[in-house]
Amino acid sequence: MKPARLQFALAVASLAGLLSRRLLKRPGETLPGRILLALYPNALAELSRGRRIILVSGTNGKTSTTKALAKFVATLGEVATSPSGSNLTRGAAGILMQPHKLAVIEVDELHLPGVVKAVHPEIVLLLNLTRDQLHRMHEVKRVADRWHEMVKTNPTTLFIGDIDDPFINYALSSATRKRSISFGGRTHQDGAVCPQCGKYMNWNGVHYSSECGLTNNTADISLPAGSAAYRNNELAKIVAHEFGITDSEGSTELRELERRVVKQYGKVSASFRLTKNPASWVEALAGVEGNRVILILNAREVDGIDTSWLWDISYASLKGKEVVVTGERGIDLAYRLHAEGVTATLVENFESALAHFASGTVEVLAAYTAFHGLVM
Amino acid sequence: MPKSVLSIIRIHNELLGTYGDRGNADVLAFRAAARGIKAEVVDISYREALPESGDIYLLGGAEDAAQVLSTEALMKSGIKNAIDSGATLLAICAGFQIIGNSYYAHGAKCDGVGLLDMETVPGTRRYVGDIKVHSPWCESDITGFENHGGQTLLGKELSPFGSVISGFGNGDGQVDGAVDGNIFGTYMHGPVLARNPEFADLLLARATGKILEPFIDELANRYAEVRRKVIN
Repeated sequence: MKPARLQFALAVASLAGLLSRRLLKRPGETLPGRILLALYPNALAELSRGRRIILVSGTNGKTSTTKALAKFVATLGEVATSPSGSNLTRGAAGILMQPHKLAVIEVDELHLPGVVKAVHPEIVLLLNLTRDQLHRMHEVKRVADRWHEMVKTNPTTLFIGDIDDPFINYALSSATRKRSISFGGRTHQDGAVCPQCGKYMNWNGVHYSSECGLTNNTADISLPAGSAAYRNNELAKIVAHEFGITDSEGSTELRELERRVVKQYGKVSASFRLTKNPASWVEALAGVEGNRVILILNAREVDGIDTSWLWDISYASLKGKEVVVTGERGIDLAYRLHAEGVTATLVENFESALAHFASGTVEVLAAYTAFHGLVM
Repeated sequence: MPKSVLSIIRIHNELLGTYGDRGNADVLAFRAAARGIKAEVVDISYREALPESGDIYLLGGAEDAAQVLSTEALMKSGIKNAIDSGATLLAICAGFQIIGNSYYAHGAKCDGVGLLDMETVPGTRRYVGDIKVHSPWCESDITGFENHGGQTLLGKELSPFGSVISGFGNGDGQVDGAVDGNIFGTYMHGPVLARNPEFADLLLARATGKILEPFIDELANRYAEVRRKVIN
């Protein structure tokens, strides 16, 4: 039986969500959670009681991996899960307002320790940590330190992570219960310094080993290398297996995990991918198949309000292609391309970018807010 | 610059590359090439010996542990000899802090390389956001993005790079960076030379010892103008 005050808070929050959706035609994803936490700050802990909860976090791939995992978990029964990327603490509260016993929840990197402490999840999947929104995260190491502490102080939770990322390995190193996975190693833009001991990391190709012993040479589970979408799918399968799901073979399309969304605009067929930080840009640029590309850059709060990181990426693979750049900070990107000798046309908005192509297919690499505005 | 190729040395980018400052080297090479000046960007990592023959040296922003490692390597290097024999240095954020007499990392005081008479102490908050500076070395205002937690106190004889119009700069909201001879320090990322072609040309002129041929890059100028306009 829930406390009366919590029941009241739930009723008010649900009503607010309903009104927001019906009257204001808003998706109403974050409002109920926000109201719930305002009326009953301990709601997360109360609502998580007796439930089986999986949390997913990391710089890239949270939303798609959560979706894939929720699909696996759905074979056990109805699942409370995030409809899109509303991943702050209030988003988690909103999801736990759904009545289902099973929950798969995406959580923002900085909010994760607080949510873990409140809901005592059965499993937490840690995907990766790379530079992103540094105006908010400040430093990658700062996030990893918080995760390390979180893992240490939650001995009953099973933490699963990809240790080819040294920051994930460092976070997992304090775990009582963990599964470490290696996909044969890969380089890491922020991996020059060992996050555990601060010494210069010894890299041998895609393998690292630190003086303090941190290494990806040994993992609990070793898998072949592959794209980020493939890796996230494999990680979701391992989580599903640990959760007691036996049949999770290949039920998700990798394209879905790439969050590739195709939309038709008159005669133009646009294939969207999300590019929000250096790691996701590198992944998306490697996936460009055609010769016609639209790049959209914004720099709102969730995009990261600084654009300096554009210079951490090489756009040389776009040379010779028909490239159109737009977005609120399109000029930052246009100049970056210009300095690398990539010819591009800078236009005012997405409509003009589409008009530039008139017909046929075009690949669109879009910043977070642009992606959400156009395809969600 | 007596040699045939302008040598731009990007120091420890794997350590000092957290905030995109690697782009400063690319912009310098691009604007040099546009004037027919042959230029090469040379990356020198932590374990490599730093050549003393460079024309322009670049240090970028970093996290604490990386900053400490880079300082240790620089102290053993010949960077001071290179500067004394006329090379130009641009140091950004953490890279700027470590060339002073001292700075703080992980809450502990560390010795700096000592190229500039200044010290950096922990600030009262983290200084994050767009910044605009008026520098006596440039006609147009200089813009960038700062993201640091240090307060840099300049020695009496040391000039700041400029006065702060918007932002925090050295932490007091009054001045940003420092200049001593051919050493330029600032807290501005962006990369700062991408957003301010005039500043890039200033460094190229210093390094070549020549008046540069004019190069009107319409997009670069427009970009600089846009940034100056939106930061007030």
